[in-house]
Amino acid sequence: MAEKNKKLSVGAYLNCLAAVLGVVGIVAALICSNMTITYRLGNMGTIAVLGVFGICLAILGIVFPSRFGNHDYLGTLSVLGGIAVFTAAFGQILGERILLIAGLFSYDSVNTVGWQVFYVTAVAIAAFIIAAIVLIIGAFLKTVKNQ
Amino acid sequence: MKKTGIFRGLAALMTFLLSISVIVGNTLESFSSTIDTALGTQSEMMVTDDKDAVYDKFTPPAELLNEDGTGNSHALIQAAIDLNREQAAEGTVLLKNNGVLPLASGANVTLFGIRSQVPILGSSFGVKAFGGFINLDEALQNNVTDFAHHITTSLSQNWATGQVERGYTTGEWSGDEFEFDGAGYKVNPTMTSIYTKLNETYLHTENAGPAEEYDPGEPSVKEIEGVNANFKDSFAKYGDASIVVIGRPSAESEDYLPGGIVSGLGASEPLALTTNEKDAIALAKECSDKVIILVNSASAVEIGELKDDPEIDAILWIGAPGSYGLLGVADILCGKVSPSGGLADIFPTYNMSAPAMQNMGNFSYANAADVITRENSSNYIIEAEGIYVGYRYYETRYYDAVLGQGNATGTAGTYASKSGWDYDAEVAYGFGYGLSYTTFDMEYEGEPVFNVSKNKDVTTATATFNVKVTNTGNVAGKKSVQIYGQAPYEQGGIEKSAIVLLNYGKTGLLQPGESEVVSVDVDLQYIATYDSSFDNGDGTFGTYIVDPGTYYFAFGNGAHDALNNIMAMQGVAAESLVGEANADYAYSTEITEDTLSKTAFAYSKTGTKISNQLDYADWNYFQDGEVTYLSRADWNGTYPKTYSDMTLTSQEMIDYLNGKYYTVATEDNTSDIVWGKDGDLMFYEMAGLDFEDEKWEELLSEMTLEEAQYLATFGGPSIPGADSIGTVETYMTENAGNGIAVNLNASKDTEAPWNISSEDPNGNWHPEVFGSSPLTAASFNPDLAKKLGEFIGIESLFTGIPILWGPGLNTHRHAYNGRNGEYYSEDPILSGYTAMEFAIGALEYGLIAAPKHYAFNDQETNRAGVAPFMTEQRAREVELRAYQIAFEATKYDTEDEDAGMRGLMISFSKIGPVECTVSTGLMTEILKKEWGFKGYAVTDIYDDFDLYGAVLTSGATCYDTRGMSGFYTDTTLDSPRFANQADGSAISATVFAGDANAQQAVRESAHNVLYAIASSNLMNRYNATTHVVKLNTWWRTAYYAAIGCTAALTVLFAVLYILSKRNKKEA
Repeated sequence: MAEKNKKLSVGAYLNCLAAVLGVVGIVAALICSNMTITYRLGNMGTIAVLGVFGICLAILGIVFPSRFGNHDYLGTLSVLGGIAVFTAAFGQILGERILLIAGLFSYDSVNTVGWQVFYVTAVAIAAFIIAAIVLIIGAFLKTVKNQ
Repeated sequence: MKKTGIFRGLAALMTFLLSISVIVGNTLESFSSTIDTALGTQSEMMVTDDKDAVYDKFTPPAELLNEDGTGNSHALIQAAIDLNREQAAEGTVLLKNNGVLPLASGANVTLFGIRSQVPILGSSFGVKAFGGFINLDEALQNNVTDFAHHITTSLSQNWATGQVERGYTTGEWSGDEFEFDGAGYKVNPTMTSIYTKLNETYLHTENAGPAEEYDPGEPSVKEIEGVNANFKDSFAKYGDASIVVIGRPSAESEDYLPGGIVSGLGASEPLALTTNEKDAIALAKECSDKVIILVNSASAVEIGELKDDPEIDAILWIGAPGSYGLLGVADILCGKVSPSGGLADIFPTYNMSAPAMQNMGNFSYANAADVITRENSSNYIIEAEGIYVGYRYYETRYYDAVLGQGNATGTAGTYASKSGWDYDAEVAYGFGYGLSYTTFDMEYEGEPVFNVSKNKDVTTATATFNVKVTNTGNVAGKKSVQIYGQAPYEQGGIEKSAIVLLNYGKTGLLQPGESEVVSVDVDLQYIATYDSSFDNGDGTFGTYIVDPGTYYFAFGNGAHDALNNIMAMQGVAAESLVGEANADYAYSTEITEDTLSKTAFAYSKTGTKISNQLDYADWNYFQDGEVTYLSRADWNGTYPKTYSDMTLTSQEMIDYLNGKYYTVATEDNTSDIVWGKDGDLMFYEMAGLDFEDEKWEELLSEMTLEEAQYLATFGGPSIPGADSIGTVETYMTENAGNGIAVNLNASKDTEAPWNISSEDPNGNWHPEVFGSSPLTAASFNPDLAKKLGEFIGIESLFTGIPILWGPGLNTHRHAYNGRNGEYYSEDPILSGYTAMEFAIGALEYGLIAAPKHYAFNDQETNRAGVAPFMTEQRAREVELRAYQIAFEATKYDTEDEDAGMRGLMISFSKIGPVECTVSTGLMTEILKKEWGFKGYAVTDIYDDFDLYGAVLTSGATCYDTRGMSGFYTDTTLDSPRFANQADGSAISATVFAGDANAQQAVRESAHNVLYAIASSNLMNRYNATTHVVKLNTWWRTAYYAAIGCTAALTVLFAVLYILSKRNKKEA
């Protein structure tokens, strides 16, 4: 029988943080994609979908435990899915930016616009990766308080 | 509960690690060719099951093989040492010698300058000198290499700390050491140890780079004293001679800039001597009364004051000599070899006096922010010096100054002159100049032989100069024979240089008293003038003009000497000349319409009518009257001003800069372009076939449009295979022109019988060991250039590389181009012939030498998209002339074969406001139609991805998507990398479905790419059974293992979590 309206615990707050980081990741990806035409992310749509999906899963990782208790199956699936999806979003950005990054760190180190794009890209990448790590930490912890 | 949480958390952690492993794996596979090069691995291999008829087209020389046919790494490295030594000995230029050189063996010498311990052997980035090297003190006093302890270093940035650090070019050396015969000197160990100690804190490397604010990092006397206060005590014992090394580096992506030197160094320009360098020279004078200066730089260092210093006894320019080149320098110092090189660039007293220097560096349009929407389109340079690049400026102005014409003695452009412009003050050493330890008599052996013939519209006109060279001195030596010319100039007429190099040759080693007749063939097109205003009568304008009148030719010790000889013949008083003159060394002939028509060269050697193709290169074409180009009609009034903050008002120019070039058609009828036809013809059967062979049409028809498009889209190191014609995804190219950038034990062709096994003790030898390009050019020796090409061709067989991105063939527009070390010379004739010989030599071993960067990559500052503006005359007579010579390669044409280069890399830069990659005039009309280029013409790395349709229809054969792999799977045509098209088109396999022009262009590209490969050593490996197999590299194994382990652990922890949760419920 489902339990309802449990008090949120640390894990839930970490899931919230992951969702916020997912938003940050999407926004940063959007910004770096729109800084110049040259460095527009051709797979921005995919990244956005993955990001939104990850945010939803992070939130479901709170919703399900609050109804079914800590470490329930659906909540766990949501968290694992969220981790995979956020990591996939990171992978999508990395795949698109790897040529830029390779250039900046070798033959194209004087590309000032490229560096600006890189810095924003780094924010997006960091946001998605940290979101996944936060979800991992949350997975070890309780999402709702025992009553 | 606790256990459930832990298992849940661990499952989450493993999910994350699994995801990361998959991403890393995908990324590695997508760039496996680049990963292989970086890590020395081999992740895939071409395998040919049927071993018949493979490895029989190109083979290494027998002397480099063991008895069992495998490669002999020791012999290969020894051959490289010998050739690099020869390159340096022949390229080194003796600029001054009051008799101190050669310095006898047994002398006790002291080395000064920190570059005497950390010489510049190669470039930073780009063409580095790799691996174990021979230092100057070793070359002077040792007899065996010490590669184990002397490995070249480069600077790199530690991305973790941000600090610039010194790093070794290769790992440790545990292979063979090699004996050599050094100069037999004894070198002062005190100064050696002081500089070695100081270099622990100075960031000097053997592959260094310039900087916007440069500091040569020469230690002060105080710093020297800080290491050893009594260092001068050693002078008495080692005072037979002092050798001072002055260095200035060269590098990709960085320039020197006007005034770009760290303040407080006592110099106002980066190529001027600093106080500490002058102090080092002062110490040298204190140490010995014999002072020798070695100029260790690809660029012209300002050494005018050393030329005039009576206490400086000798000056040698040694370029960047490569890993073993200091042996050649030692050979010159001790007299084993007599110098025979000539400067590949003029050495002005002050580099800023070159008119090109008025417009180099960082310039942005004043209204760029308002009108430019495309990346890398906001920078320009106005090349207002016109045709007067390098010596062409100094010598022509000198000529006019002596003759009192064109306001040549005005003050504009004076830097060293006391009042009016004075050649003697402005120039330290001229182009082509170089001394020897012996003396030569030179005379024409008979009259020059002129040959003019016509085949349909094409006129071929040559003059053969036979010059008898006699060694009249006491030691053996070689002598270059440089033939220069002067076309008749009418004041105010089309611009003409008063002297141009036309061709050159070199004697063999002449013993004292020995003579040799050197024949030098001159193509008279190179003395013709491009007149862009000439009315061709067919609605087009512009062609080469042979003005009727008196043409002068001369040989001489460089351009200045040759010009003096011509002026002597013209009756100019000897006392008005700077330097000596001999009218007997000059020759004149009248050219009339009857002997050679004014428009004799209106058709190229391919029969293509020549006309203007680069009108848009000229700023005035769009905004008339805003730029004044330097004219010898008024040197003083037209000497370039600095064109900063130019404002764009022409909408046509703005549109070009914003990438509006080509719109993909959608409604064309393409039914007559055949794709996907059934057939049995396979690519391996095309080896060695002519470009025009009808089998090509058959082969191309078997391909699908998608396959051809893949070939055109993904060029560079890896190219996609095409099932229909039996080609496989292939690793093809490597960078650099001073060797192949692949270790012996990382060969891409391990199936080759001569493969050197990965266990070979010399396996980590890296073949990029040769000296910089100007050194080769300075040898003025076509045979040496060819020999270098042949050797690098041999290296390519051992490393499995069929295409080389080199040599660099851009023009030394000025001394401040940081990348001059990769390009030959300021002179297109010297550059073109040297490159041609190199490429022909390389092709003998199936290596396609693809010169770069076609064209106009005149500086590194803003190189990604900078717009150089110039006249078409300048473009054709200077920059493009070098490429023309190399690509036409008429010297090697036979009735059966149209010789020539088979590849090129296109420039990052624009020509005018138009990207070189999309310039049909440059890529098709000039390159392919006028010069007959057939081969692999690829963009520079990742360039102009947003101009897909324009690039692929210009004549470029493919993009360089360097490092990508996994075509048709990870890497596809609708890759996001081509998602941002300037014309809004979406790239896919069907994007050209309704565009007949693009389909035809893609087909032509496939033809060119396949033709190039078919003439390369890749054909050693192709037959009907050729396929690719993936190999288990350590990184592939690692990510497979990571995926496997993390997947298993994810499942394990998930199961444990479920069990734990069930147990809890049951409890």
